[in-house]
Amino acid sequence: MTAYVLHLAILAGIYIILTVSINLIIGYAGQVSLGHAAFYGIGAYASALVSLHWHFPFPAAALTAMLVAGLCGLALGLPTLRLKEDYLAIVTLGFGVIVDLVFLNLEFTGGPDGLPGIPPPSFWGIDFRPPWLYLILVVVTVILVLIFTYRLVDSYHGRALRAIRDHEITAQVMGINTPAYKVVVFTLAAALAGLAGSLYAHYITFINPETFGLHTSILILAMVVLGGMGSIAGSVLGAVILTILPEMLRQAHAYQELIYGGLLMLLLIWRPEGLLGRGKLSLKFLKRES
Amino acid sequence: MFFQQLINGLTTGSVYALIALGYTMIYGILGLINFAQGEIYMCGAFVAVLLLATGKVNFFLAFALGMAAAALLGVILERVAFRPLRGFHPLVPLISAIGASIFLQSLALLLFGPNDRPFPIQFTFSTINIAGLPVSTLQIAILGAALGFMGLLIVFVRYTTYGKAIMACALDRDTARLMGINVDRMVSLTFLVGSALSGAAGIMMAIYYNATYPRMGLLPGLKAFSAAILGGVGNIPGAILGGLLLGVAESLGAAYISSGFKDAIAFAILILVLLLRPQGILRGRGD
Repeated sequence: MTAYVLHLAILAGIYIILTVSINLIIGYAGQVSLGHAAFYGIGAYASALVSLHWHFPFPAAALTAMLVAGLCGLALGLPTLRLKEDYLAIVTLGFGVIVDLVFLNLEFTGGPDGLPGIPPPSFWGIDFRPPWLYLILVVVTVILVLIFTYRLVDSYHGRALRAIRDHEITAQVMGINTPAYKVVVFTLAAALAGLAGSLYAHYITFINPETFGLHTSILILAMVVLGGMGSIAGSVLGAVILTILPEMLRQAHAYQELIYGGLLMLLLIWRPEGLLGRGKLSLKFLKRES
Repeated sequence: MFFQQLINGLTTGSVYALIALGYTMIYGILGLINFAQGEIYMCGAFVAVLLLATGKVNFFLAFALGMAAAALLGVILERVAFRPLRGFHPLVPLISAIGASIFLQSLALLLFGPNDRPFPIQFTFSTINIAGLPVSTLQIAILGAALGFMGLLIVFVRYTTYGKAIMACALDRDTARLMGINVDRMVSLTFLVGSALSGAAGIMMAIYYNATYPRMGLLPGLKAFSAAILGGVGNIPGAILGGLLLGVAESLGAAYISSGFKDAIAFAILILVLLLRPQGILRGRGD
């Protein structure tokens, strides 16, 4: 039982990183990414490959994961972020499909069988194999990510991002380089998703393309919308709820996706600000003056 | 070989074009991507297949009812998932549409199960020779029907009062309202027409691939959207051209480059178009 709780806690931590990272794109820059699981997957594969072939220690593997995922985010963001938000949604969705196919078809990613035998992290003389130690590693990472994002969104740059979200033209007139901001935040979010992928790969020690498909992207999106777009505390809450809820509703497994889809629609119609939306970081921007 | 792939590409491309028309019309009038377009396509196919499986309905009635069901679903979707969110940040209806898409897909999965259903009636198609090259009559039938629907749509938009009213709303919603056009009704009508076309596309693909299943709309929906962008989103001839080009590119790419990456070709083209010519081949209203 304790082992199971620990397992859920570790997964929740990984989802918190994913949700917080995509919230930077959705809630702060006002863009949509529907392929976030692709960056998660790229991070997981990059981290697994460098550990398996070149025996990178975990911190170096995690950094590689962030770097590779971030570079992919940069490559995708540069051409598309100049365009309207809807385009980004489709392009990221397509990117997710492409990455999935790449994982499935390439030889060194193991195809549909994936990569087994990824070494669990072990550095500074500590072996992180026991779940409670791994949980500590995840919690420390989550705290670092949260500190980073809180500092980011409360800084000059965070205010610039929110200005872009609320009214891009006005932001431009105020001298904010809007495409650059969007590309940088997209790259950062991709890198954070890569970090989450690395944590996942070295915890489960086995990865295959199935984990990083469209349903994971949608799940992350549901977590953000549930907690409230533009609220970091909301993202944490949304990630925790949607990690635990499916476990409590095990019998209703077949209804999971139905529930996520319905949740996205109904929440937006009845409470577009999400569960924590009325907190400090509210989403009044959703209601456009017209 | 080349010619065969070209015909294959034109056949699937004409189906993409039909779905792309729905995207483009809805984008034109609301500035919204209806993510659930692929599920409307799936709904049309399922209704036709289920009706035909009863054995009591003839093919053309089933086809018409499939289109009608798709149209109805489109109109309901607009009322439930989009209309309450008009005037919000564009992200909100977009995410709501994604929710609707997932919801409908999993609903179909629960109702009909994950397995492929074959098309209930068998057509006897032969291969005929056109200028010495073999072509399946099924492909000719699909291509012909798709082009017929496109022609009807263009006539509807250009020469009927309602069609012109839709174009007026797409040009400028506020001015259209001042001219006495009921904008809400025109939006519903756009969803009705666009969804009926997607429904027809779904039925044709159900015949062509002889498979109907809950997730069948996902990839064609996404590819059709890429086609709409390729042609210039909001532009009706552009959507047709984009669909056909994309179908051909995909078919040739699968034959000559790699069949494992067949589904990636459409998105690679999409990213390239956005990079090089974001307004599409024929100029659209998108950007």
